[in-house]
Amino acid sequence: MGTMGDPGGRYAAYTARLMDGVLTRPGHTPPELRRAIVARAAGGPSFPLSGTERGTGGEDLAAYVDTVAQHAYRVTDEHLGRLRQAGHSDDSLFEMTVSAALGAALGRLERGLAALRGESSPLDPLSASSSPPVPLSALGPHPLSPSPFGRGGTQE
Amino acid sequence: MRLGAVEHRHRLPERLKLILIRLVSGRRVPDVVKTLLYRPEFFGRAMCEWTQAVMRGPSAWSVGERELFAAFTSRLNQCVF
Repeated sequence: MGTMGDPGGRYAAYTARLMDGVLTRPGHTPPELRRAIVARAAGGPSFPLSGTERGTGGEDLAAYVDTVAQHAYRVTDEHLGRLRQAGHSDDSLFEMTVSAALGAALGRLERGLAALRGESSPLDPLSASSSPPVPLSALGPHPLSPSPFGRGGTQE
Repeated sequence: MRLGAVEHRHRLPERLKLILIRLVSGRRVPDVVKTLLYRPEFFGRAMCEWTQAVMRGPSAWSVGERELFAAFTSRLNQCVF
């Protein structure tokens, strides 16, 4: 978890509160499982869920987490049907889906911030299994560089 | 596809908010709003605060520019903004 989020950044407190709700609140799934899902969605399929998903349709769950993290638009009723058959309630599925989405988002955020800092970012775990991302250089000036015109909202 | 609970089983305060939104807007409530209002202490409340800070808080970027980034990202994710 230490590598994720926005450490020291302007939004660190917001990110911490978000993580706190999803990872530590009592719910219908054990917090350890939610933590493992966040780590897998952020870091890629090499992060196992094993040990945390016993008796919960582990393989289907891992495939579901990867689908939500990599291409959420491909989630189907069939995915959720299989997980329901394995005994998951809607509330469990809600918690696991939110955990996967949050992990994927934080992983991307961290890679983006690393790129802005000029650090060699850890390999995108998703790039091995999906089409290569559009290089930002193909889009003209770096979209995240400060606006050269100084217009826009309130300055810091 | 949608989860039945997130579609229909909000608690009373959130259910009242959803009814109000539907009456005022005259439309079906967007799924993202239903998700944010489902058990908001778990995810939605903190997510709304985060989104408000990032999208509307102090920044070198205008609100419009930030919305454009969000729309562009959603497009890459094949998720209609």
